Amino acid sequence: MLAYKFDWSVLWRQPYGEWLLSGIWLTIQLGLLAWVIALFLGIFLGTLRSSHWPWLKFLGSLYVEVFRNVPFLVQLFFWFYAGPMLFGKELQFKINAISGLNYYVAIIGLGLYTASRVAEHVRAGFASIGQGQFQAALSTGMTHLQMYWYVIIPYALRVIVPPLTTEFLTIFKNSSVAMTIGVAETTFVSYKIDNETFHGLEATTGAMLVYLVLGFCVVKLMGIVETKVRIPGLVSR
Amino acid sequence: MFDAVQRNLPFLLAGFLMNLQLAACALAGGIFLGMLVGLGRISKRRWIYGPVTAYVNVLRNIPLILVIFWFYFVMPILVGKTLHPFVSAAISFIVFEATYFGEIFRAGYQSISRDLVAAAYSTGLTYWQTARYIMIPIAFRRMLPSMITQSIITFQDTSLAYVIGLQEMVRRTTIVDSMEVRSIELYGFVAVMFFVFCFAGSRVSRYFEEKSRKANIL
Amino acid sequence: MIEIRNLSKWYGKFQVLSDINEVIKKGQTVVVCGPSGSGKSTLLRCINGLEPFQKGEILVDGVSVGDPKTNLYKLRQKIGMVFQRFELYPHMTVLKNITLAPMKVKKLSRKEAERKAMELLERVGIPEKANEYPANLSGGQQQRVAIARALAMEPEYMMFDEPTSALDPEMIQEVLEVMIDLAKEGMTMIVVTHEMGFAREVADEIIFMDGGKIVERGTGEEFFTNPKHPRTKEFLSQILK
Repeated sequence: MLAYKFDWSVLWRQPYGEWLLSGIWLTIQLGLLAWVIALFLGIFLGTLRSSHWPWLKFLGSLYVEVFRNVPFLVQLFFWFYAGPMLFGKELQFKINAISGLNYYVAIIGLGLYTASRVAEHVRAGFASIGQGQFQAALSTGMTHLQMYWYVIIPYALRVIVPPLTTEFLTIFKNSSVAMTIGVAETTFVSYKIDNETFHGLEATTGAMLVYLVLGFCVVKLMGIVETKVRIPGLVSR
Repeated sequence: MFDAVQRNLPFLLAGFLMNLQLAACALAGGIFLGMLVGLGRISKRRWIYGPVTAYVNVLRNIPLILVIFWFYFVMPILVGKTLHPFVSAAISFIVFEATYFGEIFRAGYQSISRDLVAAAYSTGLTYWQTARYIMIPIAFRRMLPSMITQSIITFQDTSLAYVIGLQEMVRRTTIVDSMEVRSIELYGFVAVMFFVFCFAGSRVSRYFEEKSRKANIL
Repeated sequence: MIEIRNLSKWYGKFQVLSDINEVIKKGQTVVVCGPSGSGKSTLLRCINGLEPFQKGEILVDGVSVGDPKTNLYKLRQKIGMVFQRFELYPHMTVLKNITLAPMKVKKLSRKEAERKAMELLERVGIPEKANEYPANLSGGQQQRVAIARALAMEPEYMMFDEPTSALDPEMIQEVLEVMIDLAKEGMTMIVVTHEMGFAREVADEIIFMDGGKIVERGTGEEFFTNPKHPRTKEFLSQILK
């Protein structure tokens, strides 16, 4: 242990400092953009899962079970390597030629994966809403679609803010998997710094700090959202 | 059409076996360590509670890949030589998953009525005897569905050992793909393998959940 | 002999026991009664060191419970305790519940521990339930197993914390009978209970507690027919309806 000379400057020395900063920025981008996909798709899927039409329920469940039971890394590799091939021989080459393809695939893959988890939380949120709400809305003459859009979804979203916070945190952690397809985000950068300087210990410790700070910010942000959106009278935490 | 998979089946399946082995090690170590971590999290002594809580909170907020790398870089420094990727990965997993199992056990311990623990103490059992014969067995039974779910997650996480070059199934798939370039079949195959195992696992968890709900003994 | 001198305990700012003084001689049965929150349960748990206390002294056969050097594990082998909600270990059979401590603490062999356990089960009247799980027993049966479990450590003292309060009325008698037999055989017992019939039959002394203090002491019939303190009168009139 004593034979090792620590060199913490790898974290801010040029060009490593610059790498780290752009890596952090990529992590943030990946997380936020994938989160947008995950939210919209997840809410849609969660609603399918909770509907009373068997076919819709089945479709929603199928999606969730497939995306939950396959590791995210495998999903990402599938979309990146096998994905373009799904479009047939001609388009395949055009797609692979897109610069920054790995960036887009990472965001879409992360979004699709996280959507399955959001869907589960949305389903649980719906389940916790008493039958009475559904009946009350329908009895005023709303269609099912209107009921979901104006009453149930807004209600459920507020209830599930705490578990969604956990998912939001998780999405930033999972963004690190994008390094395996070459996206130069935070974890990739720490690996690259080790390759160049052999000071991987300091680099990864620095990267850990980045994620901890990021997580802290997310929790604080969602805490504010939760307070603003809290339904009076309901026990939330 | 699936001949690429068929040709390389033994090679790929050996990789899958490695995922299973890694998961087995991770679970054995992670669950055992998790039992202790859970106890630490409900300890009244601050010198135990503090460090254990810090450990849990830090590890649950950083990506697993980073933990894998961190150990891969740290171990040579501590031990003096580079470790085999399997060993390094196993250690990383044990340390990482113990935080999740620790929280599961903590919930289990907290569900045990204080008087039950008092009853054990009142017959003269020591803290460790009470933990070993009463608290851990009861917590384990109550939290079995959660533990199975977490085990499935751990199994999926073993795919991440890819990043330190471990010859598990995902890495082997990329090796085969670089030769055969039949990505759809190959990556589809590994996805299906994981899917079947994990889906079956979640059914098992559901079974235990139903069983304990109906029996409601514990 | 158990001696309690000037015992006081606080939970934060709230004083739950005030200046308790009491002596319990060998072979005596002491009944403690009083409204909920009067500190009766807390008093019991201070005696066997399950709860700490800030002021005063408790001596069990001369050993100070509050002394940090005291080996509480050894002390607890001397004092058996029975709880309101039985607290049998749900994941073990009746037999295992009883033999666990004797085997692990007293290092008895399995054969020896099980033999003694069956004797105790006979004594409390349910030897046929030895291999059942607690969930399959009625409340009264579970509490009798709990008594057997406490007796398995061959304690010199037995404490009961409202042993029949969680039982359906039909089952109270079977448990009380076991306790009465124990008292008549000479066990030193402290019983927190509202069962005044039990107190009348075997209590050598009855203590009424309220607000963390011992309000009144009495012996036998005297206590019931001629309570001196107004609060005692009030409490008794509600209990003895």
